[in-house]
Amino acid sequence: MARLEVDAVTKIFGASVRAVDGLSFAVADREFVFLLGPSGAGKTTTLRMIAGLEQPSDGRVLIDGRDMTWAAPRDRNVAMVYDRNSLYPHLSAYENMAYPLRLRRTPGAELDARVKRVAEILRIGELLDRAPRQLSGGQQQRVAIGRMLVRDAGLYLMDEPISHLDAKLRSHMRLEFKKLQSEFAATILYVSHDQLEAMTMADRIIVVDHGAIQQIGAPREIFQRPANRFVAGFVGEPAMNFLACEVRADGGKIAAAGDGFSLPLCAEHAAALSAVARTPKAFEIGLRPQHLAIAGNGAEDGDERESGIGGTIYAVETLGSATVFDVSVGQTVIRVQANQDALPNRAFRINDPVRIRVDTRRLHLFDRESGRAAIHPSLSRESGRLAVLGA
Amino acid sequence: MTESKRVIVSPKSAPVENNWWVHMILVTVFMIAVIPVLWVVMTAFMTKTQTQVMPPEIFFKPSFNAFGVIVRQFGMLTFMAHSIIIAVASTFFSVTIGTFCAYALARFSFPGKEDVSFWILTNRMMPAVAVILPIFMIFQTFGLLDTFVGIIFLYTAMQLPFVVWMLKGYFEDIPREFEEVALVDGDTWLGAFRKVVLPLMRPSITAASIFVLILSWNEYAFALFLTGTNTRTLPPSVVTFTVSTEVSFDLLGAAAVIIAGPILLFVVFVQKQFVRGLSMGMVR
Repeated sequence: MARLEVDAVTKIFGASVRAVDGLSFAVADREFVFLLGPSGAGKTTTLRMIAGLEQPSDGRVLIDGRDMTWAAPRDRNVAMVYDRNSLYPHLSAYENMAYPLRLRRTPGAELDARVKRVAEILRIGELLDRAPRQLSGGQQQRVAIGRMLVRDAGLYLMDEPISHLDAKLRSHMRLEFKKLQSEFAATILYVSHDQLEAMTMADRIIVVDHGAIQQIGAPREIFQRPANRFVAGFVGEPAMNFLACEVRADGGKIAAAGDGFSLPLCAEHAAALSAVARTPKAFEIGLRPQHLAIAGNGAEDGDERESGIGGTIYAVETLGSATVFDVSVGQTVIRVQANQDALPNRAFRINDPVRIRVDTRRLHLFDRESGRAAIHPSLSRESGRLAVLGA
Repeated sequence: MTESKRVIVSPKSAPVENNWWVHMILVTVFMIAVIPVLWVVMTAFMTKTQTQVMPPEIFFKPSFNAFGVIVRQFGMLTFMAHSIIIAVASTFFSVTIGTFCAYALARFSFPGKEDVSFWILTNRMMPAVAVILPIFMIFQTFGLLDTFVGIIFLYTAMQLPFVVWMLKGYFEDIPREFEEVALVDGDTWLGAFRKVVLPLMRPSITAASIFVLILSWNEYAFALFLTGTNTRTLPPSVVTFTVSTEVSFDLLGAAAVIIAGPILLFVVFVQKQFVRGLSMGMVR
């Protein structure tokens, strides 16, 4: 197994397209790390530079402490699987899996044993005689993963290996990957644009956009304390709501006010922002749909930490276990996710006026100019650990 | 049993048409195309006097006289040997070199790539007669006239653009991932090419080879000017012994059969391969 270090790697295509811009991160031995980002973020290019299929314009790639920036792919002891086209169509599944071993002149008996063992784990034992085109998409990807696993690679690189499978198979494969990783004690770098894959499988997630790292952290940390507006908007389903606002000292209280609403901040946030609030500054409030609720029949309840935003129903999406309300507030639409048992006891029609209850301890605030997080939700009961990043 | 025989027809499917007239047209076209060929083959089995009879006889007693004459008296088999050597060698070289050229053009990006591709194509644009004189003089200067090296070299150069352009497209159809996966798996670049790309390309390369072989076999203009007694191929040789003060149609017919026969049999034999190679990548 191996460690991977990527040190200020930059890739420039053509004259000026900076696909990857000074990327630095490390993957520890036996760690499952995700490169998460939208398409065009430079994830795949980064992966290809680690595999040696692409040469970086600047920076270094170290595997187990050795500089591999210019080494040929075969000298790096990495294994890779693509989203598709990973199998040779002219070879059977068995021969596809045996290919890396034949290259290493593995003796016949050992080769056979290894292929059979991996096939057993991936449950493709009875498919080994078939040609790739006789396999379904999921089976093909499993054979491709099998070929990656038959050899003792130091580092496994995966480029969206399951993104073309159907939803059900994907969720099954997510589990399989998690299990495989612990069984094979593998170091895995996994490229994906699917935040759900990253959240469920990763030890750590590296969020990239425009060729630069936005945040590195454990899935929970990425979700709860996004470093900037991009990460906040990219991770989480349904996506976080953003509302433009200003932070003002309103009488004795500090409040975030915007188009048609004014949310008094909780004491911790207020303390953190008291310096900022003297001169009004442009912010954006970030609200997770899960942390909002539709107030019952317009009746306010007395909880002082909760505050409301008024709006009208724009659409209602029923997801089964939950219902998502799209509420238009001023010019924007805010999505509110309510669990089935927490639904207000009434029917909603389009254009009905509603109030959204906001737990002000759980709001995010982002600097509108830089996008950096100014305050994270105060982690309840741990009142001392308040984050102030952008102020 | 009746259950399985029932054909389910979609109500929206077009009615099955009984196109008898299409078959009439096809038969007519076939007759027009095949009668001259048939006539040539018939002439090959006539004697000289039979070929000159007016009106021509459709039923006659076949003789192998003409074949005997061109084989024994004019040494047709020697010319055939020349043809085989030249066609096979030039096919081998043009396909081998062309495969590598096409691969490079399909896979690697380098400055002037498009210009190189186009320049290769322009080599094929001029008709043979337009360049025959300069080539003759070049061959004369280098002592290549009437040598196997010279004519094989020329045919290779002539067929190369064809091979390159045909195979380039097929190489582009092969996903780059195949080679990259092989490289990461621990193979060398050449190993990936040999073990992954070539097997996938075999049908297309075979088709290109067949095409080139036929073109080389039938080539006339260059062969007429650049080959002599040592290297004369079949197509120009025919003229020398069938056309003098008068045309010996019986000999001409026999020669035509000898030239076209092998290649015709060859094509019938490899037809399946040929179609598979040409249609590769189209049916996915």
